[in-house]
Amino acid sequence: MAAGLKTVILLSVVLAVGFLLIILSCALWSNWLPLLVGASEYLVSAADKNLKRHLLAITFVIAPLPNALFSHCGADDFSPSYEPTGAVDLGRFLTSLIVITGFAFPIVLAHSGVINTSASAMSIVGGGLVYGTILAYSQAFKQEDSDFD
Amino acid sequence: MSLPRSNYDPRRVCLNPFPDLHLGKHRRTAGVYLAGALFAIANWSFLDAAIYSAHAQVPWGDEPPVHVTFIDWLPGISSLLGYLVVVLIDKDRIRGQDGFGDSSAVWRARLFLFIGFALMAGGLAGSITVLVLKYVLSDYAEMFKYYGYANVTQNVLLMLSAIVLWMAQNTSTEYEYNLTL
Repeated sequence: MAAGLKTVILLSVVLAVGFLLIILSCALWSNWLPLLVGASEYLVSAADKNLKRHLLAITFVIAPLPNALFSHCGADDFSPSYEPTGAVDLGRFLTSLIVITGFAFPIVLAHSGVINTSASAMSIVGGGLVYGTILAYSQAFKQEDSDFD
Repeated sequence: MSLPRSNYDPRRVCLNPFPDLHLGKHRRTAGVYLAGALFAIANWSFLDAAIYSAHAQVPWGDEPPVHVTFIDWLPGISSLLGYLVVVLIDKDRIRGQDGFGDSSAVWRARLFLFIGFALMAGGLAGSITVLVLKYVLSDYAEMFKYYGYANVTQNVLLMLSAIVLWMAQNTSTEYEYNLTL
């Protein structure tokens, strides 16, 4: 149980650093467009039903779309076949789409000169930290009945 | 060097030529993720050109000589429509297995598949047309050809994404696959 506690503390520190980078990339140049990257990462995090109760305050507004796709249409215990359905594929497709969008958006904004290049780099690093934290969390505390992988 | 007679149906025109790759049991998942990533990269590469065009006025003084206009958006729209049509077709209908209803359903499914691929190929050809006619053959500076190249990149990647998604979803219905899961 102590190992789990250490993991939680480490992941929360990494998550806080990621949020810090994202918010700093917005605040240093007083241009709040990179916050959309963070929003897309929250949208991805809502896809994992284990994280729903932990990030409820953040994801509550924009959570329903991928969460509904993943948790209700997945190959659950009640479904007769083990074959992944089209809805699961759609959820994975949307997840990949949103993740790539989160990384491509600051690059595009920096390319056209809307935000600074260092703000773009900080936003990408922060978004990668946040998303990596979410992945690591869902891997470390994966419950036995979740067969999403 | 002969066709596998067990799978061969002489009435079929469009045989499925994709190879049956075996990348393990996560092939479908990885393929779907890869298709989504390609889809996002495709659209963002074009949106990058559009946003860059909308914000480009500094190095050229008053006004740059060319912008991304609605003509540039048309091939991408056509490709997206074709992508939707191709993705929404039930794969079992195309394969035309017995006991799946009447044969007219199979015929209609193949017709719609053809329409979808024709739309995507039309989008690709249209993007190359826009690149040549609007950017290569005119007297603009070299950097404006980036708009045309981004358009071609978008359509090529959309077609790649459709192919990857098709291959990922097509041949995973083996029964032993289910047992080893």
